[in-house]
Amino acid sequence: MFDQKKYISKSENTDKQISRRTMILSIGVTGIFALMSSRLAYLQLYRHKDYKSLSDENRITHRLIQPSRGVIYNAQGKPIANNIESYHASIILEEVSDINKALESLNAVLPEKQIDIDKTIKKIKKSKKFVPVQIIDNLSWNEFAKLNSNLYQLKGVFPSVGYKRFYPEKDSHAHLLGYISDIAKEEYKENPFSKLNNAKSGKIGLEKSLDKELRGRLGLKSIEINAFGREIRELKRIEGKVGQSVQLTIDSDVQNFCFDLLKGLSGSISVIDVNTGNYIALASAPAFDPNKFSDGISSSDWQSLLDNKYKPLINKSISSYYPPGSTIKPLVALAALESGINPNETFSCNGKHEVEDTSLESGIKTFHCWKEDGHKEVNMNKAIKVSCDVYFYHIARRVGIDKIAEVCRRFGLGDEVFDLFYEEQPGIVPDKKWKRATLGTNWLIGETLVSAIGQSYFLSTSSQLSLAFAQIVNGGKQIKPNLIYRKDERDIKIPTLLAAQSHLKILMKALDNATNEPGGTSYRSRILGENKMAGKTGTSQVRVITEKEREEGIIKNKDLPWNKRDHGLYVGYGPSDRPKYAISVIIEHGGSGSKAAAPIASKIFKFLFRKKMDIKQSVIKNV
Amino acid sequence: MFNSSYSSGNLSYSERIKRINYFIIFLILVLFSFGLLALYSVAEGNFNSWPKNHLYRFLIGLLLIFFLSMIDIKLIFKFAYPIFFLNIIVLALTPIIGTEVFGATRWIKIGGISLQPSEFAKYTLILALAKYYHSMQYANTNSLTKLLIPSVFVIVPTLIVFIQPDLGTAIVIALGSLSIFWAAGLSYRYFISGGLIGLLSIPIAWQFLREYQKERVFTFFNPERDPLGNGYHILQSKIALGSGGFFGKGYLDGTQSHLNFLPEMHNDFIFTMFGEEFGFLGSIFLIIIYLSIILLSFRMAIASKSLFSRYLSIGVTFVFSLYVLINISMVMGLIPVVGVPLPFLSYGGSSTLAIMGGFGLLMNCYINQRTNLERGDFF
Repeated sequence: MFDQKKYISKSENTDKQISRRTMILSIGVTGIFALMSSRLAYLQLYRHKDYKSLSDENRITHRLIQPSRGVIYNAQGKPIANNIESYHASIILEEVSDINKALESLNAVLPEKQIDIDKTIKKIKKSKKFVPVQIIDNLSWNEFAKLNSNLYQLKGVFPSVGYKRFYPEKDSHAHLLGYISDIAKEEYKENPFSKLNNAKSGKIGLEKSLDKELRGRLGLKSIEINAFGREIRELKRIEGKVGQSVQLTIDSDVQNFCFDLLKGLSGSISVIDVNTGNYIALASAPAFDPNKFSDGISSSDWQSLLDNKYKPLINKSISSYYPPGSTIKPLVALAALESGINPNETFSCNGKHEVEDTSLESGIKTFHCWKEDGHKEVNMNKAIKVSCDVYFYHIARRVGIDKIAEVCRRFGLGDEVFDLFYEEQPGIVPDKKWKRATLGTNWLIGETLVSAIGQSYFLSTSSQLSLAFAQIVNGGKQIKPNLIYRKDERDIKIPTLLAAQSHLKILMKALDNATNEPGGTSYRSRILGENKMAGKTGTSQVRVITEKEREEGIIKNKDLPWNKRDHGLYVGYGPSDRPKYAISVIIEHGGSGSKAAAPIASKIFKFLFRKKMDIKQSVIKNV
Repeated sequence: MFNSSYSSGNLSYSERIKRINYFIIFLILVLFSFGLLALYSVAEGNFNSWPKNHLYRFLIGLLLIFFLSMIDIKLIFKFAYPIFFLNIIVLALTPIIGTEVFGATRWIKIGGISLQPSEFAKYTLILALAKYYHSMQYANTNSLTKLLIPSVFVIVPTLIVFIQPDLGTAIVIALGSLSIFWAAGLSYRYFISGGLIGLLSIPIAWQFLREYQKERVFTFFNPERDPLGNGYHILQSKIALGSGGFFGKGYLDGTQSHLNFLPEMHNDFIFTMFGEEFGFLGSIFLIIIYLSIILLSFRMAIASKSLFSRYLSIGVTFVFSLYVLINISMVMGLIPVVGVPLPFLSYGGSSTLAIMGGFGLLMNCYINQRTNLERGDFF
């Protein structure tokens, strides 16, 4: 009995102990539950905002939408740079059951476009399995059709259509338009399109200058994605802006005609409407096919463009500069007229002109006329007509370099014509101040003489010379050179006159005589008939002819290596009685201006005069 | 003399059914309904996959509760050791006869059903320990020699499961058993020195951890170490919970879950999904129900007269608490990810059956709270 009692009391004791310990256990568990709940509150209440934005970052992604690039039209309103469909074959990994087999059968369908299976698989495996991967680019329409009709045996392969830049006029407009290719690393900062996968940017020409306008503004769509990056749905879309299209003043017929005349030559031609300032053609040769860049140019093609000694990548109408040679003479004559020199005053030309030069042993430096035995008595009209150097030596000494430089600048030399192209060069119009600033030495009198015949430091571009002549023959009106056609910007305001009408008349008569009178430097290239051309030849030396050489007889151009030959220039206008166009032709190392350049200009004028008639007729038809 | 009036044999079946604690069954039903809702959302509105299977398992589980509540407690008492040993044998054989999934051999196939013996080991160990301490004088608990057998009971299944490898289950088995030692009056000294030994043995245990388990632990201590790898899941889980806010994103509208940013949504991370869609309000409600079940179960445990029933009930309740605590702490980034399911919500057959079996045992003890059991009846 006692034992039992003892056992009971013990059991009661145990009871209490167990209850107490269970109580402690449940308190402990409750405590941890409280801790857990406060953690839950911390996450869901206190940190809610942070996690909410993290969650949105997770699920929402932004994709850029590329707008279509602006189209460039010519004066006729025909596209000369546009976007055409390009055809590709793509593959979506998750839809393919056996990738090796799929690529093999693709090779069987398009045997001309053999793809490297191993390489392609590597490329495909890098992308997400639901993203289409382009495996063949630039399929022809026939290949694309073949792909489409064989799709039933190509599970997972998809024909896809994209856009690429297309230049219908190919190489004739190449420098003017430029080309587009992959965005370079240096552009990443300022070009927002660099964030796109395959976006391209203009590299030279108008494609580069107008890149910002042409490319438009990127659109943006917000999409919901899952953890694997797959698009679930579109949440929001901000439309971009399609690239701006532009119309040029370039007439592709004239441009192509000019380009064809330069075939086999290295040089440039620019054609300007003297009244509006519109450039009708800006041709440069040799050229390249910009379409090759749209497809991705091969490295061998690119290397051959770089290695070509005729520099096909340079736009010679704006980026190459040459000593203007005798084509500068009308401007020097104008400087003389403005300095009060009587155009009828004559100077005697015996083939050379001597100037005191104490630095030389003989004390005398001799400057030669291009005509060895001289032009005899020469007045201003004759000097321009026969291009007498000695006459210009005389008047230059009287007028001085600063006045000559001032007139040249007034007519647009020494400054960029278009203020548009990254690659355009301003050339050089030298004067005393320029020499001190650039070379740090004083101007020499001999340099004035050589400058007067467009040599020494003088450097001009083809487009500058055509602009200068346009402003001489349009009655001295200052014009704004245009390449981009602007409808509403007709010249209503009174134009600034650059020179006195009486002076310009004297120059124009002389230029007319130089082409259309026997003895003129370009007489052989004159145009017979109602509409005539007029203009000035120029031959700019790229080498110095020494006295010794003169004694032994000057080597003829055709006997020299190509790059030592003279540049041939011709700058002219037409019709001579009521000027409408000014043209400059520069043939690099082509020999004399009268032989190399003037005949080309003549052909262009003939084409232009005929073309004008055509347009008239078509206008009449329309009425 | 003591087992005269209250022996279970005296209770009729109708009486037993009457004595069932229906409130706790109701709470379990509520939890299960939430689980069904969550799984329906995980399955993107497809009832026929996870939700349907979960429902079947739950119905089997309810039958199991009913069956285990109705049988004679003496039978359970009698077969406590054999059941435990059988479980150990099956557990030991699992690597040989089992099927490997994700690099771990945890499952054995019986008929068409795959079962995880380790899930049941949590409960059979409790059974064995309850029986062992039932037969012991309360005062003898602290004798070192008396501690030897129960220690072996704990260490064997824990080690087997640890080697499988299944760290989460091993931790639940080991920690779960501690509740019995605690209830049986083991001195604080043992718990403190045991804790110290545990800490000291971490470097040794570390060497047995698999590479991925080590990664998980590393990741836990420094989630930014590898935000796209191992740290990714826990970070995404926290983002999901946090972005849910007070009211949640709405049922079926969880972006983290439905856009696949969460791992194992139907299983270990189901609480995250629930928290994202139902917010703090829903989650705290869920937690309160869990806590209510636990506190209620502890109260049911003390109501029992026999030590065996008490220990068994306390063990079952504590194991259940561990499931909940470890799982929720894990998805909230409080402890490393160890792979413990959330009772009644997670989609897992063995764990659901084991947990419900546990409640069956608890219910049986509750029904037979007045029943006395003889001591020292070893087999």
